[in-house]
Amino acid sequence: MTNFNWLLDGSIVGLYLLVTMIAGLWVRKYVGKVETFLVAGREMDVYLGIASLAATEFGIVTCMYTAQNGYEKGFAGATPGILMALAMAAVGLTGFVIKPLRDSGVITIPELLEQKFGQRIRWAAGVVIVLGGLLNMGVFLRTGGQFLVLVAGLDVRYLEIMMTALLVGVAVYTILGGMLSVLVTDFLQFVVMSVGLILVTILILMNVGWEKLVTTVETNYGAGGFNPFVNPTMGWQYVLFNLMLNTAAVLTWQTIIARVLAAKDTQTGRRVYTGTAFFFVCRFLIPGIWGIAALATLGPVANTLEAMPTYLSTAVPAGLMGILVAAMLAADMSTDSSYMLTWCSVIYNDILAPLRKRPWSERKGLFWNRTIIALIGIFLLLYGLWYPLKGDLWTYLGVTGTIYLASISVLLIACCYWRKANSWGAGASIVVSAVIPVTYLVMEQLPSTAALAKSIGPYYSGIATYLLSGAAMILGSLLKPQSRVEGRTA
Amino acid sequence: MPNHWFWWAMTIACVVWYSTITVYVAIKGAKDIKNMLARLDATRKEDDARLN
Repeated sequence: MTNFNWLLDGSIVGLYLLVTMIAGLWVRKYVGKVETFLVAGREMDVYLGIASLAATEFGIVTCMYTAQNGYEKGFAGATPGILMALAMAAVGLTGFVIKPLRDSGVITIPELLEQKFGQRIRWAAGVVIVLGGLLNMGVFLRTGGQFLVLVAGLDVRYLEIMMTALLVGVAVYTILGGMLSVLVTDFLQFVVMSVGLILVTILILMNVGWEKLVTTVETNYGAGGFNPFVNPTMGWQYVLFNLMLNTAAVLTWQTIIARVLAAKDTQTGRRVYTGTAFFFVCRFLIPGIWGIAALATLGPVANTLEAMPTYLSTAVPAGLMGILVAAMLAADMSTDSSYMLTWCSVIYNDILAPLRKRPWSERKGLFWNRTIIALIGIFLLLYGLWYPLKGDLWTYLGVTGTIYLASISVLLIACCYWRKANSWGAGASIVVSAVIPVTYLVMEQLPSTAALAKSIGPYYSGIATYLLSGAAMILGSLLKPQSRVEGRTA
Repeated sequence: MPNHWFWWAMTIACVVWYSTITVYVAIKGAKDIKNMLARLDATRKEDDARLN
């Protein structure tokens, strides 16, 4: 049973999809070079950057895990959003790391790392970024499909078809228009997504009411529903892990950094950061309130990830339901397109770099970029279909993201600010930060080690990854005398 | 002031800030797109002229 009306709401969704596809395909005529395809010719200005960054970093998957956080942890579940907003504002105001990165004129982070650590580290960093990024993105499709199936009341058997249709639509305009299509569609998607998010939140606040939301959290979680430090499922280790994770994401998550690299200058990139910072509080708190409203209305449910869409399917009236589904489609499409393009840029620019001894023609470069995006799409379909998600979604994303966030943030900071850093330290840091999270994920999946993984928990494992990755950089660099080639500063 | 004023203030700030920034970015972002495409078009024409 759902309030989704196929005529009214279906028309709103259909109109949104039509306009997005036309806009995405229209700008492809401006793409003649690889640089235009990957970083929009570095012509992005502040407000387009804010719209694009906000749209990219809010997908259905974001909405689902932040709502799950609200359902399971109350208001305290929005803590990662506050930490990320603080980190982004601080980095935007100071220019820490992003200033030297943008000033260097590179297309990807590993390209800058090569200047300090050499070609091998560039290649290894590219592999780690793509591995962490694709594992992270692997759950996007299924989660997005789950939301749409539940809200629109479709048969669950259609989930795979929904996932495929979503991806094909996004892939078509991303393959043809690259970053230009991504920016223009992100802008449209930001507007549609924001209207939907704001209207549904106002509706919930009016219908459920602030007092009921607060009472629900108090009844279910006590003081821990408002304060992460006294919440038994969170504690200092949750806050510290999320502080490390979100700071590293702000500094090195390639889809975020891509906006700095596509900005027309360094100052614009920094203004995009400061202008978008508070959005990250909204990103966690708004769906978090939806999750709390689901708890207040539905009570305990078996699958906490599905609580919010199940609640919305009957709480949102026809008409607004169409705007909600269009908003969520917008959120998902902007995220998928940006992520596919971003991982493609690293594969092309860094992992395939050894194959390009002589520069490729623009035509050949564009062909390979488009082919890589298509292959990423196929991988996502296959991975999204068979990977069984265990534990909560935010933790999975945190653990897989840490595979690259820990080492790349250490490498990038060292590259920009530590003269003695060298390839030994960089290599050690990459190995350490890949081994710990991957081992944790494998242990979590194996029945014989699942209990041990649970007793360690993702937060201690994550904190250890960041600390040991930093320690590996320091030890490795100090153990090997600095060579003249590596002594160059970026 | 409602109970749990911090989260109440955060919620209100989110709704007000997000509504305002959406309208502002919608207007300014459209201008950014127009200017970006104009600059890319000019660059493309320069490149074509150089090749010819």
